[in-house]
This record gives sequence, structure tokens and C-alpha cells, in this order.
Amino acid sequence: MFSLTPLEIEALRLSLLVSGVAVAGSLPLGILCAWVLARRDFPGKVLVDGLIHLPLVLPPVVVGYFLLVVLGRRGPVGSLLLDWFGITLGFTWKGAAIASAVIAFPLMVRAIRLSLESVDRGLEQAARTLGCGPVRTFFTVTLPLVSPGLLTGTILGFARSLSEFGATITFVSNIPGETRTLPIALYALTQVPGGDAAAMRLCVISVAVAFIALLAAEILARRVQTRLRG
Amino acid sequence: MLDLSVRRRQGNFQLDVTLKAGPGITALFGPSGSGKTSLINMVAGLSRPDHGRIVVDDRVLFESQSGIDVPPEHRHLGYVFQEGRLFPHLSVKGNLTFGWQRMPAHQRSVQFADVVDVLGIGHLLKRHPAGLSGGEKSRVAIGRALLASPRILLMDEPLASLDAGRKAELLPFIVNLASQFAIPILYVSHAMDEVLGLADTLVLMENGRVIADGPVEEVVARPDLKDFSGHRDAGAVLRATVRHHDDDHGVTALGFSGGTLLVSRLDLGCGASVRLRIRSRDVSLALEPPRKLSIRNVLPVTVTSLSPSSNHMIDVKLDCGGTVLWSQITSLAQSHLGLTPGMQAYALLKAVTIAREDIADYRRAGIAPEAVADD
Amino acid sequence: MSSPYLRSLLAGLVLCFAAGGPCHAEDVMVFAAASLTNALNDIAEQFSAKTGTHMSASYAASSALAKQIEQGAPAQIFASADLKWMDYLVEKKLVVADSRINLLGNRLVLVAPADSKLDKMEITPKTDIAALAGNGRISTGDPDSVPVGLYFRQAMERSGQWAAIEPKLARADSVRAALAQVERGEAPLGVVYATDAAISRKVKVVGVFPESMHDFIVYPFALVTGKDSAAAKGLLAYLSTNDAKAVWVRYGFKVN
Repeated sequence: MFSLTPLEIEALRLSLLVSGVAVAGSLPLGILCAWVLARRDFPGKVLVDGLIHLPLVLPPVVVGYFLLVVLGRRGPVGSLLLDWFGITLGFTWKGAAIASAVIAFPLMVRAIRLSLESVDRGLEQAARTLGCGPVRTFFTVTLPLVSPGLLTGTILGFARSLSEFGATITFVSNIPGETRTLPIALYALTQVPGGDAAAMRLCVISVAVAFIALLAAEILARRVQTRLRG
Repeated sequence: MLDLSVRRRQGNFQLDVTLKAGPGITALFGPSGSGKTSLINMVAGLSRPDHGRIVVDDRVLFESQSGIDVPPEHRHLGYVFQEGRLFPHLSVKGNLTFGWQRMPAHQRSVQFADVVDVLGIGHLLKRHPAGLSGGEKSRVAIGRALLASPRILLMDEPLASLDAGRKAELLPFIVNLASQFAIPILYVSHAMDEVLGLADTLVLMENGRVIADGPVEEVVARPDLKDFSGHRDAGAVLRATVRHHDDDHGVTALGFSGGTLLVSRLDLGCGASVRLRIRSRDVSLALEPPRKLSIRNVLPVTVTSLSPSSNHMIDVKLDCGGTVLWSQITSLAQSHLGLTPGMQAYALLKAVTIAREDIADYRRAGIAPEAVADD
Repeated sequence: MSSPYLRSLLAGLVLCFAAGGPCHAEDVMVFAAASLTNALNDIAEQFSAKTGTHMSASYAASSALAKQIEQGAPAQIFASADLKWMDYLVEKKLVVADSRINLLGNRLVLVAPADSKLDKMEITPKTDIAALAGNGRISTGDPDSVPVGLYFRQAMERSGQWAAIEPKLARADSVRAALAQVERGEAPLGVVYATDAAISRKVKVVGVFPESMHDFIVYPFALVTGKDSAAAKGLLAYLSTNDAKAVWVRYGFKVN
């Protein structure tokens, strides 16, 4: 029963590619933002916090439209990208990855920040007395201790990216092979009479992927926890 | 070794300390909140004084005037924290080598095998901190700090969370460290037993200030400080040397300036030094040499002074051949004895406690370490 | 509930919901192809001025609308941009076959952003559309379902260019969405109806597809089965009157 059609394979491949790149690409920035929010105090911190969380509370379509305005060919940033580097983001999987990354970012930052805030600062001090500078301490002590939060954030981000629709379709629309991820392919099928059977198949595939992702996350999380507890 | 003079204000608390610490173990003793931990945090670079100067081994670590503030990772100190603070994500070996790895091999003054040996943690190397007992954690924490080849070892009540048995086990290790690895130790404690068991130099702190600073026996003998360790524990601390052993009766004779003391057989060679503690409540007085008595340790003394203490008790300061002893008697007894300064009397010592055991081949410049005989 | 004012407000709200939809008497619900948006809105205004009957419209790709009607959406009149989707509903007996009128026609055009360097040209089957787009994409409706995309696909298939064109397409949900992409400059070229190009100031027509390249663009209108109220019939009839025709023509539609 289950051999996948080319359309399904392509949608699946794109979904995994876009989500994977979105999460991997935004992880370093996510760690940085989480660290700044958890450890630093500065005027305007509330604003920065709000800005980072904005995609969480805005309708995804609004976020997508905003990306279109800013990163589109004629947008302030998009035109620079085009003129200087010859890069366009519209209609490309990279644009789709950016849309997913923006939507998933607040989830990642929240999870990592929570984990950071519960790290025992005393351990970092101990590392300092043992000859570790602040940067090295971060990588050898803080980061390993934060790894459960990192994992949670990554999984959450990945899951959210997999299900991303509104921002993606608004920013990069529906290009087979480039931006037609699982949700978008499913949507397109629901717009057409007679597309229901194919839509249902995609539904099943989406659920399966989500399930596998969650399962993998659970197993990884348990492993990390046991390692930390010795 | 360590030379500091710092001031810091935090809210209502004002810390103002000037201190020099030499080789061996220097104990910082005082009640909670006296500023001991704040002080060593400043030495370690984990907190910043408002004013002052901190110098270790002729290297300026902090000087407020010239703006020097060497970050902790460059101070080459070792810090053993009260809670151990072992890294949970690393094995015991990973923890131990954490600071050790950062040193280029030729700069390391301490060898991994030696430390593991001395602390007896070889069998724990593969475990993780979560699987260690309290005593084992403390030992690993000490080992980790040592292996960073520190110029000074800072210890903040590292035995605080251990029971008496574990403590007794670990104290000799720590004493040994200072000699074996030739590293001076700054040891924070609020337990007098630990201090008497470990320290060569005693620094008393109260309310952010140093109120006494000197060799342990001297500081403890000072009259204005006798109440410091709590009234029940008041007494004398003195040095004695092993004269000979009487194996037939399981007894060792210790000699000091005031005579000979007999204690249970010690496992030390002749000539080894011990530090003794004689609590004032364990010293009774007689005007005539007592006869037919079970107490073996009777010493001729001269009464130096008498001062009333709480609860109808009197603290009597005695001179025993140059060594200070204390006796605590009831005012009723005093009314019978009629002691006056200058009077000759006899001190009956019911118990003599060993505070610090000797490590046989340790020799510190000029001062032999003390061994304490169990009562 | 304390205040009586609040109580009557709540009652009013409940009544509104109970009545179903906006509190107008006699609304006619129209599902119409996206390209009819502006023209049909104008005509509806005329109609309501004359008769007091208002129109509610949902504009989208004809394929999507057909699907929704199939699922029971409350449309009363259906206006498709091609015969295919009307035939689809006729076959399923979801529209009243007798009420069907093939009312309007249109032309397929190639558009570019207003500031594009492309000049107006004559489009023939030999015109290499893919080359015109260069590195960019050609924006049009989804060629699998949306009428404008279907017409364009026909044109390309008939001129043997489909294989080259297909990977360069940016598939939009409707012709208006495709138009928007060209307006924004995201796509250097787009294929829309002449009437859409006419209302937009941000695009210019680069060429008109000869009608031989594709099936005639026909807009059939019909009543939805079971929803053909008197008001709906009235509106449908009005769409062919001279007043309405004037509006259609003004927007560039061909009136049959």
C-alpha cells in the first residue's frame, strides 16, 4: 500500500530539508539570544524580549507578509541581497527555511533560556577557578549542562517548522520542488475537487513524520538526562 | 605567599581585612557571616573588593589603585568549594583533569597519579559525581583543585557536609596535602575541631574584621579570645613531643614544657610532635599532691589569674612550666580552696585530646607538626 | 448581569447570530472567479441601489469555489472562469443546468512589472516565453486547477513549450494572487487576464496571447441547486442587462 508518489516524496524531502536547515541555521543565534536574555540586563531588554517573541503571537500570515515586504526583491533588505550578492529568497527553499526559522525561533529561545536559567552558576565559577576563561567555560560546562534545553528547543523548533504554512505560503508561495512542503502540498490538494484522496495520504505521511520526530526526541532526551545524572 | 589588604562594602556589611599567610595551613575561623567566604572569593577573583591589594607569590592579582584585576582563570589558584561543585556531566576522571589539562605539561607541579594515590580515589575514576558518596565527592573536589597546579589552595568548609567519621577520615589527607605537594592552604571553617586539627596559623574573623592572627596555639591561648570557640570548648592548646612508649600498659609519654603527659598508645615515633587540647572543664585543681587516684596526669602549676564566668563558674588561668592551662571550677569549690594568683597548686587532667596527628616524615621549617593522642 | 443595557446588547448579538450572517434581509451569496472581483462588485452596487438586495461575494479560483460548493458551501450563484469547473458541477447536478449562461469572455495576457525593461511585443506560438523570463519565474494560477493556469498551460502545450515552462512557474492560488506577485516584482513575468492587467497600475502588458493558442476564455454563470431564491434569480438576470453590460465592457470583458 505505501509506496510514495513522486509528489509525496518531493514534499517530504522539502519539508525535512526546510525544517532541518531552519533549525540548524537558527540554533547559534537562538543560543546567543537565550544567553543574553538569561544573563544580561540592559535598557530595552523588555523590547528585545518582546521582539523575539513576536512571531509566536502574530498570525503566521502576518509574519510571512512582513518577510515579503522586507526580504522581497524590492524590500529594503531584499534589494540589497539582490544587488550585492545576486541572492533572491522569494520562491526558493531558502526563503521557506527563513520563514520557518522566524516562526520557530521564539520557541527555541524560550526552551534554551529556561534551561540556562537553571544552570548552577557555581559550576561556572568552579570552572573559572580551574583556569577556564568565560568562553571556554561556556562551551565546556554551560553548554553541556544546557543540552536538555537545547534538545527541547531544537525539537520544538523542528516540529513547528514542519507544520509551518501561513508564513511560508505568503512569503515564498507554492513552488513544487522548491517550497511545496507537506502542509502546502496538502493545502493545494484541498483546493481542488478530487484532490481528497491524495490529501489524505499526505495527512498520514505528515502524522507519521511528526510521530517519528517526537519519538526520536523522547529517546534522545532520556539519554541526555541519564548522562547528566551519571 | 599571600599578602592582602582589602575593603568591601555590601549593604550594611563592611569587610576590612589585612592579612599575610605563609606556608602551611592558614585557617580562617569565625561565625557565619563574618566574611570568611567573601574574603576567599576575593582572593580567587570571584568577587571584587572596593579597595585594596592582593598579592600571591609576589604577583599582584588585584590592585584597585592601578586597576589591576586578574580574572580567576589566570590566577593559578585552586578552590575547593563547600558543596564540591563537581561537574555532573563529566566522569570523576573528567573532573580531575579539567584544570590539569589546561596546563602545559612542563608547568604542572602536581602529577595525576600522585594525587589519585594520596586521595585514594583511583577506583572511582570511571564513575560520575551522582554516584559518589559525600566523602568521595569531597575528595574528588580536593583532587580536582590540586591538579590545577595551584599556587595556593583555597578551601571553603570542604568538610561541612560530612559526618564526624568522614571528617576524621579526610582531615589527615588535607594536612598531608600541604606538605606532600608543598602548597599553602587557606582554609575556611567555623568548626573549632577542624581548625585545631589542621591549621598552623589561625586567623579569627568577626563582622568582616580580623581580630587575631598568629600560630594556632598562641591565638587560642589569648585570654581575650577564650570565649571565641564557645564556652564548652574553652581550654588550652599546646604542643608536646613523643618521649617513649610503654607497650605493657598501652601508653605513650608526651613531653612538654610543663612536664609529662600520659596518653593511650600513639602510633608515632619518638620525637614526633603532637598538638594537644586540654579542655578547661577537664582540669580539676588540688592544693596538695593527691594520692591514690585513678587520674594519671597530675601536674604542678601556679595560679596566674581567676575570672568569674557564667553560671557560678570561675575560669582559672594556670602556668605549667611556661605553658598556659585553663581550669574551670565552681565558685563553691573556690570558696573552699581559696585560690589566689601566685599560689602553687596541682592540676588534675581528666582528658587529653589529640587535635592533630603527625605525618611521620613531614618537616616544616622550624616547627614540627603535632600529633594528637586519642583519649 | 447587572446593567439592562448589557442585557439588551447581548440579546441583540444572539439574535444576529440566530438570524445567520449579517443582519440584512435578502442577501444573495455569489461565488465568483477572482478575475471578476472589481466588475462584479460595481454591478452588485448598482443592483442593490435599484432593488435593495445586497450581494455577498467570495472571490477565489474557480476550482476552489467548485470544491467548496461541492462540500455544501452556501453559494447561490456560481461564476466560473472556464467551462471545466461549471461542467463539473453540472455533472454533479450541483447547479441548475437550465439557468446557465455563458456570459463573458476575456483574453490571456503576458504582464511584467511596470518598470520592466521588456517592450511590448507580438506573441506567437514561436515566442520563447521561458527565455523572456530569464532567471526569474513566471507567475500564474496553478496550472493543475486554476483556470488562468489551465489556459496558459494549453497555450504552452500547443506551442511545444510546456516542458521548458513548467519548472519556471510560480503557482498562485488565483489569478489575482499571481497578479500581486508581478506587482511586487517578485516575478519578472506573469500570465493573467487582460481585465486584471487593466486594473493594475503596477504592471504593464507585454503581449497578448492569440486566441488560437488556447480554448476561448468563457465565463459561465449559473444558479446553485436548491439555493435559487427569487432574489438570486433576479441578480443573475440583472447581470445580462444593458446597465450591467456597460460595466463589464468598461472593465475590458467581452460580453457574449
